[in-house]
Amino acid sequence: MGHLRRSGTAAHALGRRRALTTPVAAGALVRLLTERFAADLRDLWTDADTVEFTIDAERALDVMRSLRDDPDLDFFMLADAAAVDYGPGVRFEVVYHLFSWKHPAWLRVRAHVDRADPRIPTVTELWEGAMFHEREMYDMMGIIFEGNRDLRRIYMSPDYRSFPQRKDFVLPDDAADSPAAGVNPLERPETWDLSRFRDALTVSVAGSELRGDAPAEAVEDGATLADKSRPR
Amino acid sequence: MTTIDRDTRIPDPLELDRAEEERLRIAAGLTPVRAQVGEYAGFDQVGIPDRPPQTEREVEVYTLGEGEMLVNMGPQHPSTHGVMRLVVKVRGEIIVDIDPVLGYLHRGIEKLCENATYTTVLTYVDPMDYLSTMHNEHAPAIAFEKLYGIEAPKRAEYIRALVVELNRIFSHGLMMGFLALDMGGLTPILYAFINRDEIVDMLSAISGQRMLFNFFRVGGVNFDTNDEFLSRLGTWRSNVMKNIEMNERMITDNEIFRARTIGMGTLTGQQAISLGVTGPNLRASGVPFDIRKAHPYSIYHELEFDVITHPGGDSYARYLQRIAEIKQSIHLIDQIIDRMPHGPVQAQVPGIIRPKPGRAYAAVESPRGLYSVYSISDGGPNPYRFRMRDPSFISLQAVPKVMPGKLVADTMAVMASFDPVMGGVDK
Amino acid sequence: MAVDRPTTSNAPEPMLPVTTGGDGPIIIPDQAAGDALLRPFDMEEHPQGGFHGLLEVIPTKADYLLDLIRANSLWPLLSGLSCCAIEMMSTATSVNDIDRFGMFPFRASPRQADVLIVAGTLTTKMAGPLVRLWEQMPEPKWVVAMGTCTTSGGRFKRSYSVVQGVDRVMPVDVYVPGCPPRPEGLIYGMMKLHELVKQRRGQWDTYVDRGPQRTRWEGDVR
Repeated sequence: MGHLRRSGTAAHALGRRRALTTPVAAGALVRLLTERFAADLRDLWTDADTVEFTIDAERALDVMRSLRDDPDLDFFMLADAAAVDYGPGVRFEVVYHLFSWKHPAWLRVRAHVDRADPRIPTVTELWEGAMFHEREMYDMMGIIFEGNRDLRRIYMSPDYRSFPQRKDFVLPDDAADSPAAGVNPLERPETWDLSRFRDALTVSVAGSELRGDAPAEAVEDGATLADKSRPR
Repeated sequence: MTTIDRDTRIPDPLELDRAEEERLRIAAGLTPVRAQVGEYAGFDQVGIPDRPPQTEREVEVYTLGEGEMLVNMGPQHPSTHGVMRLVVKVRGEIIVDIDPVLGYLHRGIEKLCENATYTTVLTYVDPMDYLSTMHNEHAPAIAFEKLYGIEAPKRAEYIRALVVELNRIFSHGLMMGFLALDMGGLTPILYAFINRDEIVDMLSAISGQRMLFNFFRVGGVNFDTNDEFLSRLGTWRSNVMKNIEMNERMITDNEIFRARTIGMGTLTGQQAISLGVTGPNLRASGVPFDIRKAHPYSIYHELEFDVITHPGGDSYARYLQRIAEIKQSIHLIDQIIDRMPHGPVQAQVPGIIRPKPGRAYAAVESPRGLYSVYSISDGGPNPYRFRMRDPSFISLQAVPKVMPGKLVADTMAVMASFDPVMGGVDK
Repeated sequence: MAVDRPTTSNAPEPMLPVTTGGDGPIIIPDQAAGDALLRPFDMEEHPQGGFHGLLEVIPTKADYLLDLIRANSLWPLLSGLSCCAIEMMSTATSVNDIDRFGMFPFRASPRQADVLIVAGTLTTKMAGPLVRLWEQMPEPKWVVAMGTCTTSGGRFKRSYSVVQGVDRVMPVDVYVPGCPPRPEGLIYGMMKLHELVKQRRGQWDTYVDRGPQRTRWEGDVR
């Protein structure tokens, strides 16, 4: 078990090594992985319920095929395939989660994908259900899956020309940035007509005289009042 | 005896009119009519697809053979699954191929969650799979607790399991109603909604909301049980077995229902695993995979329940599977009520949590299958990446696999038996 | 009452009368151009619409009855998009029943529907089909924006693919806030709609095409 390497770059400092608390079977998994994929593993990390290792994009299909077909490993189910963007200039990652009856831990396979030319072989020949996962990763991140027979957008319209989940795709601060901002009259203060409240707010002269108040002062046109609490 | 000359073509009346019109126009000295392609009834014809096919699979689906045509079961259709578009290539009534077009409800929840604090994320995920809201919140809550390094108190875990099983019961009940509704039976859906309203009134007593319960928090749940919740729970529990059996009796032995579901949409276990189908759909194909047993989370290792499977793999098996799971959930609720401990319902957690940098994956068993969350933290108040894997999204891939060769009218029935919820499909 | 609005249909221009070869089109003159007596007589131009005196009661009461009939049998279009659709279905089923208000049949075809209850989040991809559905509905038609997603974008306020309120693409008569609104809330919205129907008020002729509704984002190249 001498090939456990830490990740070299500490730019994002993601992942930390913890002591194995799992029963022996997970240790068996770590040993099997380091035996079978010694050349491909760039990093291995374990948690209480997860074993994770990192590979390069070109080896993804071969590694996944071995994981599925090897009788000791027997990771027959692809639970999840996700894409992560670490920022412009860093890299993409395609993360697969696998399940096996023989091992009590989830297996996470992280494949480093180059961000400038994001290509990775498809796993649809191993699991047909990966088709929608890969279409979604292409739609949201722009990662090209080589060999995928149906790589087109799934969520956005087919003529959409951007990749929304990338880190350089920034959401606007508010709907004021949209071309339809202010189209609703209630969104534009200049359409609020306060003069329609004038009658409702005017004190009735007859009422005040009956009560014995002082008569209301006449306001000339153009005079500015000190009291600006309502339009007069 | 008259002889029929097979070479004589019976003239088409439209052709006759056009010829007549041509003759008249030529006699009057006018130019002949040049037919304009694509103009009919005054609006432009929009074909399916309206752009050239780009991928191999698109070429396969949109290339029409002899006698085939494309029918669009568009985003608005009477079936109640939400907005999904199925482009169906049919030859007569028999389906040749299906291309599902999704994204009519894509709201960008994952991207919005990257700009929200961890507690706010738990409210953003509610409307994803809106019929199983508690499960939608359970997975992120577990993932964030793993990132933050805490555990929820025991009573909180028991309350979580209780509301999650209640949610599963009414979600499966609604599936039964929708399955009958898509076949034209209008009564079971009313009973399913009565069932749902009872449970949802109970859950609104504990969480304040009828549908998108904002109930889970990182480190526990929001509110403890109260008198109204417990009294409604007791009333409901004493009536539920009778109600479920009444609902079941309406449909299960119904001849029309059996004729339309037995043998329809058959999926073998191997096919289902390859397609990524999970949950009741997978167990109805014979594979005993249940996340609550396979990777137990919350308190499921302390409760006793069985993983039920059906060997059939057809729509009827999926329907029976869900009824069996409702009964299992009631059994689980009984155990939870018996064993619930006293204690706090939320761990002491600050308002904005900043977990240490790391990655966490949490999977729960939702009524539609394996619902999982993969979250990456970078030490800040917002998750760096928040990814949800929705079961209905992946299960939809089974529909183009099982439908070819069947009638168009069975599409909706088979889809209803897979029970997709478009909020989860489109995120 | 004819209202000037931008025409959104692609129908060809009305055809001119038949031409015979040579001199150009024969235009049949409008004989009634200047003659008041020869113009077609519009009943509504006359202040009493043709009914005088005591007979005025007939159209008034008939109108009232017609509006009452219309209000009590508004047929909604089955256009549930998202979570609000489940609450709309819950309103339609046994416990909270809008069948007692005549709204039982949720029509699948827009040609047969009176009111479009937009229940659920409207996304930019779905906006086109939904507006096409609304245009296919015959007048009089009303639109109920159910839930906060259709009122203003709701909890998806900054999203790149959600239309921030359905009133950006079609005129709305009643807004029902809530996420989702309780069935009682939706029924209250329907009661407000009944008031509108009885007063013959509606926004269906105020459609303005505001163009594709999408938010701008950095890196947008379209």
